[in-house]
Amino acid sequence: MAELRMNEKKQTNRGLRSLQWLWGEYSVVIAFIIIFIVATIMNDRFLYLDNQINILMQVSTIGIIALGMTVVMLSGGIDLSVGSVLAMVGVFSVMAMNASGSIFVGVLTALSVGALTGVINGLLVSKGKIASFIATLGMMAAARSIALYYADGGSMSGEVEGFTAISNTEIGMVDIPIIIFLALTALVYVLMQKTRFGRYVYALGSNEKAALLSAIRVDRIKIGVYTFCSLLVGVAAIIETSRLNSISSSSSGNLYELDAIAAVIIGGTRMTGGKGKVIGTFFGVLLLGVLNNMMNLLNISPHLQGLVKGLIIIIAVFFQKRD
Amino acid sequence: MAETPVLQMSGIKKSFNGNEVLHGVDLEVKKGEIHALLGENGAGKSTLMNILGGVYQPNDGEIKLSGAPIVMESPRVSQENGISFIHQELNVVTDLTVYENMFLGSEIRTRFGFLDVKEMCKQTEEVLSRLGVQIDPKTYVRDIETSYKQMIEIAKSLLHNSNMIIMDEPTTALTENEVERLFAFMRSLQASGVSIIYISHKLKEIQTVCDRYTVLRDGHLVGTGEVKGTDLSAITQQMVGKSVSTNAFYHKATKGEPVLTVKHLTSEGLFNDINFSVSKGEVVGFTGLAGDGRTELFESIFGFRKKYGGVIEVNGQPLKINHPRKAVQGGIGLVPKNRKENAIVKDLSVIENMSLSSLGHFEANGLIRSKREQKRFQEYKDQLNIKVHDPKVTIDSLSGGNQQKVVIAKWLEVDGDLIIFDNPTQGIDVGAKNEIYQHIMNLAEMGKAIIILSSEAPEILRVCDRVNIMFHGEITGKFTRDELTEEKIMEYATGSKKEAASIG
Repeated sequence: MAELRMNEKKQTNRGLRSLQWLWGEYSVVIAFIIIFIVATIMNDRFLYLDNQINILMQVSTIGIIALGMTVVMLSGGIDLSVGSVLAMVGVFSVMAMNASGSIFVGVLTALSVGALTGVINGLLVSKGKIASFIATLGMMAAARSIALYYADGGSMSGEVEGFTAISNTEIGMVDIPIIIFLALTALVYVLMQKTRFGRYVYALGSNEKAALLSAIRVDRIKIGVYTFCSLLVGVAAIIETSRLNSISSSSSGNLYELDAIAAVIIGGTRMTGGKGKVIGTFFGVLLLGVLNNMMNLLNISPHLQGLVKGLIIIIAVFFQKRD
Repeated sequence: MAETPVLQMSGIKKSFNGNEVLHGVDLEVKKGEIHALLGENGAGKSTLMNILGGVYQPNDGEIKLSGAPIVMESPRVSQENGISFIHQELNVVTDLTVYENMFLGSEIRTRFGFLDVKEMCKQTEEVLSRLGVQIDPKTYVRDIETSYKQMIEIAKSLLHNSNMIIMDEPTTALTENEVERLFAFMRSLQASGVSIIYISHKLKEIQTVCDRYTVLRDGHLVGTGEVKGTDLSAITQQMVGKSVSTNAFYHKATKGEPVLTVKHLTSEGLFNDINFSVSKGEVVGFTGLAGDGRTELFESIFGFRKKYGGVIEVNGQPLKINHPRKAVQGGIGLVPKNRKENAIVKDLSVIENMSLSSLGHFEANGLIRSKREQKRFQEYKDQLNIKVHDPKVTIDSLSGGNQQKVVIAKWLEVDGDLIIFDNPTQGIDVGAKNEIYQHIMNLAEMGKAIIILSSEAPEILRVCDRVNIMFHGEITGKFTRDELTEEKIMEYATGSKKEAASIG
């Protein structure tokens, strides 16, 4: 009898511990579900399929950038330049497309300018041994300035027919940017969990010296990390530009770095690197999207939305398991 | 009537997450005695001391100071009752000066509320000179040697007029001379009525300096008594629960081709004109005091440090090693010292730490196959007797000895010709230590060349074929195993003797 009670006690203990584990590992998913339920109760339009798709569409750009940011932050760095680079890439790709008359050239320009910017960030951090916060802060200012200069401070519009189709076509009911976002999420997940590169990024973020003494080419991994992030910014820039067939050198991408970092942090990635999950970031992005959508549906003043968002970020991180 | 002990801990029980780690432990310390607290890693020593220090609260049991029951609610209560805890990890702030560290949190202020720098410096100097250390109190801690940092920690506890000091492996970072000084100092503290609880794995130290001992094993009290008249091997037996031989592990090696030959290796200020060679199946030791440059020498050979001159030949071919990857490609592996900082990636699992340097072995179509990793780990787990219930947990949940075995498995998987071990048994308990030596000998028998860096002479004597002794960045003596004694090592390591001719 006593033994039975012991067993029961053990089992509740185990139950409690596995609940703790679930909360520790996936608190963002739970938070997402709570907010989702709240939004459903607050407004019956929230659950409509077109609204759900609308949410996904709105988060796709930030979502793609946040995926790249996750990789950078797992390596122990940060990339503040993503918003400005998005504007710069957009300006260059529209210029190249208009000059050549080819969408393909535009897309190619976006991807290569993005990647190149990332290589520079990576070189500054790895070979130049500049703290990533500082190096990318510099890039943030420089890229915005270049965008403003070439667009003369204004917007730049595409002159090639069919370019808007990229962001404004649906396959079934789902828009292409959503498909790209979902596909990239899967890709980055595999990259981080199943490849050598991903394993090295985690190792580097957790203990750089041990990684180096394990014969990992730490510098190359760092360059790879920033290049990959900026490449994804290039993809996001194409989507952003194609949506309205124009890019604004002054306002496009403003504060995107903060939204992306917020999504990564809400998703449970550790600020100093080495620990975190791509799936966490995915739900972090969705959480921010649902929150925005809910506030719009409830007609909350746009001036107050920042406050709510800020509170949610702080609350989410406060309840996360910390070490 | 017997004197009341200054400290009585009785029936102390402590559980973490439902697992009881202390099952009713007693500890008695008399006034003015040096009491050794012994046990393997995980025996519960630290938990017990953390309870005494007010860091943890016991689930059951009682603490009495000089006969009066007391509840150690917080570290502050413990400190106010004159108990100082000197942790194994140094708690000094390197960007502050010596005196600032000494008075951190208890600064002396003038009448006007400003810091009284003069007074603090004066007291710092006094305390340090009692310890036999001459340092300017205004030196930045980052600029002084590790062993002095330890002295600062000890000096700090003196400032607080403690009547009981807990020292957790204080000699790990000290040279032999400094250990002597520390011991002399402990004896003078003892004479002035201070009690010391001394935690260490080094039984020789226990024999030299301690009066009584208490042994814990798996959270139980297994033995206590006078050190004098107790056989060391009996204590060891109590610690590990079985008899462990302290004999040499040495087997005569069948020497093969030279694997690594180093000629005129020099790095400004670190080491100078180093020449040696290591062959297959050989175990070569490098020893000396702290600051002898051996770690820097092998970090250079492994490509972690790049600024050096001279020639490194691997398997007869000169090799320019400017990155650890080059060294690994040449067949060299390094098990570094300070495992936590240099060897393990604490957020990765046990398996992932094992495979980190050889992920190519587990890939198919560019993707890592975790099944293959698991299978291979299982082999190493059996071969090296790694104790882990679930290899998917992060590596920091393992004991020091088992972590070290995982690091060894990592280099076995790389399968090079030479493995360098820097201080391989640092922070590892007696039982696991012997296992590590055994594995090293097995590796040599498999035909690998082995280099062992250690400052512990007995360790060197137990496994090495040949020994190089270093002093101030130079090799001062080269000996074969038969010629070597601990006394000889000391003579050459302190620079009092030097051999001009370099052999082999």
